[in-house]
Amino acid sequence: MSRIGIFICWCGENIARNVDVERAAAEVADLPGVVCSVAYKYMCSDPGQSLMRQKIVSERLTGVVVASCSPHMHLRTFRKAAAMAGLNPYLVEMANIREHCSWVHHDRQQATTKAVELIRMSVAKVRANAALQPISIPITRRALVIGGGVAGIQAALDIADSGREVVLVEREPSIGGKMAGLSETFPTLDCSQCILTPRMVDVGQHPNIRLYTYSEVEGVEGYVGNFKVTVRKKARYVDMDACTGCGQCWNACPSKKNLSEFDYQMGNRTAIYVPFPQAVPARPVIDRDACLHFLKGKCGICAKKCAANAVKFDDQDEVITEEVGAIVVATGFKLYSIDRDQASSKLAGYGEYGYGQYPDVVDALQFERIVSASGPTGGEIRRPSDGQQPKSVVFISCVGSRDNAKGISYCSKICCMYTAKHTMLYKHKVHDGQAHVFYMDIRSGGKNYDEFVRRAIEQDGAHYHRGRVSKITQENGKLIVRGVDTLVGEPLTIEADLVVLASAMQPAGGATELAQKLNVGYDEFGFLSESHPKLRPVETNAAGVFVCGACQGPKDIPESVAQASAAAGKVLVMFSNEQLSREPEVARINETNCAACFACVRACPYNAIERAEVRDRKGQLVKRTARVNPGLCMGCGTCVAICPSKSADLEGFTEQQVYAMVESLV
Amino acid sequence: MQNELRQTCRRLLEEGTVQVVIGYGDGTDGQTFPTFVTRRDDVERLVWNERCYTNLATYLTRPEILALGKAAICVKACDERALVVLEKESQIDRSQLVVIGLACSTDGVKQPKCEACENRTPRWANVTIGDAAGETAKTTADRYAALQAFMQKTPDERMAYWKTELARCVKCYACRQVCPLCYCRQCIADKNRPVVISTSATLKGSFAWQITRAFHLGGRCIGCDECTRVCPAGIDLRLLNLSLARAAEENFNFRAGVDVEAEPIVGAYSERDREEFIR
Repeated sequence: MSRIGIFICWCGENIARNVDVERAAAEVADLPGVVCSVAYKYMCSDPGQSLMRQKIVSERLTGVVVASCSPHMHLRTFRKAAAMAGLNPYLVEMANIREHCSWVHHDRQQATTKAVELIRMSVAKVRANAALQPISIPITRRALVIGGGVAGIQAALDIADSGREVVLVEREPSIGGKMAGLSETFPTLDCSQCILTPRMVDVGQHPNIRLYTYSEVEGVEGYVGNFKVTVRKKARYVDMDACTGCGQCWNACPSKKNLSEFDYQMGNRTAIYVPFPQAVPARPVIDRDACLHFLKGKCGICAKKCAANAVKFDDQDEVITEEVGAIVVATGFKLYSIDRDQASSKLAGYGEYGYGQYPDVVDALQFERIVSASGPTGGEIRRPSDGQQPKSVVFISCVGSRDNAKGISYCSKICCMYTAKHTMLYKHKVHDGQAHVFYMDIRSGGKNYDEFVRRAIEQDGAHYHRGRVSKITQENGKLIVRGVDTLVGEPLTIEADLVVLASAMQPAGGATELAQKLNVGYDEFGFLSESHPKLRPVETNAAGVFVCGACQGPKDIPESVAQASAAAGKVLVMFSNEQLSREPEVARINETNCAACFACVRACPYNAIERAEVRDRKGQLVKRTARVNPGLCMGCGTCVAICPSKSADLEGFTEQQVYAMVESLV
Repeated sequence: MQNELRQTCRRLLEEGTVQVVIGYGDGTDGQTFPTFVTRRDDVERLVWNERCYTNLATYLTRPEILALGKAAICVKACDERALVVLEKESQIDRSQLVVIGLACSTDGVKQPKCEACENRTPRWANVTIGDAAGETAKTTADRYAALQAFMQKTPDERMAYWKTELARCVKCYACRQVCPLCYCRQCIADKNRPVVISTSATLKGSFAWQITRAFHLGGRCIGCDECTRVCPAGIDLRLLNLSLARAAEENFNFRAGVDVEAEPIVGAYSERDREEFIR
């Protein structure tokens, strides 16, 4: 016979205001199996919990119902308290008489009746509860970091420095990401490459980091603690081990006029190339679409020049499998396409700004290269069309961002700051030049950030105009920028030599496909979803998968780095144990009854159900059956719903429990 | 044709390709009975005529038949669709099965379903016996003609109809036993912890059973109408099955057992699935 204790919480006024808790406690005391029923002002408080612990012991309770708030809030609290008193924590159930009752009803009489019914249901459920044990699964204490930008680098270094192995996968030929291409960084104006490249070298040399560049994650199998990841190493046509990175090959390559991806199509590179001098690994890659050997079948000068015999024209893609226990996604961002053509029909471009049409209309990342000492102009500010020094530059912020008409509602967060930085860098190099900024609002929250913007305006004399630009045209070699200054209340036309568009940040290409492989959610814009915006900012809803950097939302460098270290910290917390403990509320298949139709295998959103065979002691096949991998199962219950023979059941929410709950009501 | 069938089966048994042939034999009262031939000399018991109604696919998943060894099975074009579904649901290994296709004459087996027959010659059989002269290409409307007529009634009239009809259901479960796709060893109707379907032959229990049975066949029923044929109470179960088959066809462009490549719709998810019904 069950001995069930009911603990009803006032939640101060929250529940007691609309529910007569004492009456409810009296009414449920007579339910079958109930041996004690008490109400207390704050069940979750220390005295409340100790009241529950005392009753568990003194009344020899076999089940507990706490009628209070949502189980999301305090189920763990009460289960822990029960465990301390020696009761299996899974014999504790909660009846939500706050969110589901007192907060939404105002008739005290009816609310109390409903509270009694909610408690009655929970009592019916707990009578059918079974003591469950947490699931232990072994973990592979190695991590995969996807993306070798500043966030991925930081996460990889933090995990590797703690002594755990890291596999870092980067799609480009070198790590470094967007930050490697930046000129100087706000709010300190320290050189981006100077602070990043030592970190890149650390990654390249770290004994605990296995670096795959020019590689992509192709597939992910398995589950938290036990992922199997397939990585495709794209053919590089250069033997990474033999090559010394001497540069003979790319200096000799006759195919020189290929647009450089690293310079955002503003400079040229050879067909065999390293993206930038400080690349890690400092090993070249051959661009098949530009190499004369591949295009015309002759040339091969690089192979002849190479003293190490490292050029391999017959190189093939290689697929590697890595076993890891945790995955950090740091795939970063790209800029919104300002052009008319858009990847998604939900977005509209800014054809009126003439990007792609006028060579002197550039985006912010292109301007970074123009200012950068390693850029195509060697750090001199010259405009792309004719190489002249621009004497008037217009910066337009919020191009795409915060513009519902164009399809992006969010603020890209970093543009206000880098635009201020751009005006400064420009002024520092072109002393007689004038920078103009069109802005909607200046968002400069952050340590020393607003001071930085004030410096751009007050010391470096940038003209800030609050307003939007409606159109840019080209006349006599000048860009005519027509906008409005809403503070003056007048239209404003500026003749500019160069226009820089601060276009919105978007998740990097392929991020949503990767998210699907990882079972990680993403929002309508493709940014990956964290598990909880405040309390679980780097976890995702896929156990063992973490996010950091701009793939999760627009972020500047300090934030990306902080989040990367946070993700690394979470990975290391996971790795601090040899076994992983998971909630046992997972699905279970009755293998005797299973008809092996495998509808559940198709339906399971977590790929947690596998086809299995039952064999006798002689190894003879007895029957086939579906089987749940408890490490992967998230307890959603889809298999329970789809199983035609009702062979699937969910521990903690068994059909018997649910039927008992329904029957208690009807 | 009958001779050709017997010779084929004799050869299969002699060569040891199969250990059992599942076919039709003469029964009492001019009926045919399912017949299981394991010795080559018994092939003379096999018959093929317009009284071969039974969909023999239902025997393929029976443990006692599986125990006999590798099987050859006689199917009509309509029965054959069950094999496609069974294979998709991992119940049979098609490579371990010899399918003997029997092409129907113009009249088929003279069942109501024959009026909407689309295809008289089995399509995926290993051996096909006979030629079906004058193929009939039926349209979607023909397939659902019986349902269409029924749906002309008002909802109240239909409810009244089912109350009268299902009042006769005695829960003999013949519909389940004969269905080639009801292969669960333990049916949901037999589950007693908790009782999912009331086992009593009351109106409540009969509604629960027949609606559950139809739902379990949603997107799976191949329309062999065996359930309707064997129902001792003469309940037109076909109407329930057709209703769900039409829903599958209209909403997911899916017909069970006509495309060997198509994945089953139950449990399948596609981003292109219609979702207007979510409000």
